[in-house]
Amino acid sequence: MDIPSSLAIISLAALVHASFQLSVSVLTLLGGHSIGAKHSQARLLRLISSFVFGAAVMTVLLLSFVSLTLIWVYGDTPPLVVWAAVSGLLVGVAVCIWLFYYRHDKGTALWIPKSFALYLNDRTKATKLSAESFGLGLSSVLGELLFIIAPLLIAGLVLIQLPSVWQMIGIAIYTGISMLSLIIVWVLIGSGHSLGKIQKWRESNKYFLQFVSGAGLIVLVLFVYAVEIVGSTVGFN
Amino acid sequence: MTLSVDVIKRGGQRQPEQFMREKLHASIVATCLSVRVPTGQAEAIAHSVCEAVVAWLQQHPEVTSQDIRIIATKHLRVQHPEAAYLYEQNKITI
Repeated sequence: MDIPSSLAIISLAALVHASFQLSVSVLTLLGGHSIGAKHSQARLLRLISSFVFGAAVMTVLLLSFVSLTLIWVYGDTPPLVVWAAVSGLLVGVAVCIWLFYYRHDKGTALWIPKSFALYLNDRTKATKLSAESFGLGLSSVLGELLFIIAPLLIAGLVLIQLPSVWQMIGIAIYTGISMLSLIIVWVLIGSGHSLGKIQKWRESNKYFLQFVSGAGLIVLVLFVYAVEIVGSTVGFN
Repeated sequence: MTLSVDVIKRGGQRQPEQFMREKLHASIVATCLSVRVPTGQAEAIAHSVCEAVVAWLQQHPEVTSQDIRIIATKHLRVQHPEAAYLYEQNKITI
């Protein structure tokens, strides 16, 4: 696969990752608790910046881990059957997202274990230090592993076929794009926007975001299927 | 006047605790501050909402924390709809 096509797949996978909402929910809550506790603007910025940094670090670690595991198992050219299996997994995750991603109640509560949601809620409330906030960023990405594993696997399969310099660039592109939604909320909170308005927008558009996440995965599968599986079969690659 | 009301906690797994007006007051103030309401106004809104909740509790010796949240949200909505929205969303954001 050529480098532009590889980077396009990585970017699309990262966009799907960015549409997942657990980290955004935690960041919104963290901002709310911090402002409500009368922390200074500087401390608020420190907390939310550490959170975003923590989420970015965990994304880099997860993507590197997935890529390294794939290299160990398959070398730098994974067999077609792996592409087919991962494409099937992506379709499954897309259907799960359409069916289950949000709980069918008011609010933006997600389909993650209740105990983990309560843990994140309590930790968010108790977070006072940048280091705790960094840890919360790490945990919030891990908490959504069930869903983000799909774009991570596709990005990993594409990354291992690239030359090593482009692998670094690919990881940076994936991380940058997947952090977009967090960066937008970070800018909104940092510039003094009301959390009520942010949360209201998220609740009003939650089914749209849910549809986009699932549809993004389906588009990704079609693209990968056309480029990797059909392309290899008819001899384009 | 002291108010003796047992509050049954969320999920019913923890021991009931006595209603604490200061705790409710602090949570309403924090929510108001979250939507950038000035501190003085936040205190006034919290005072008014707490009065309404205490009046409601006079007829209810045993309530759940969710009941208190619902009644507080209802009165907060009259004072500041955006803060009421955020207060209501607190437990259902994640």
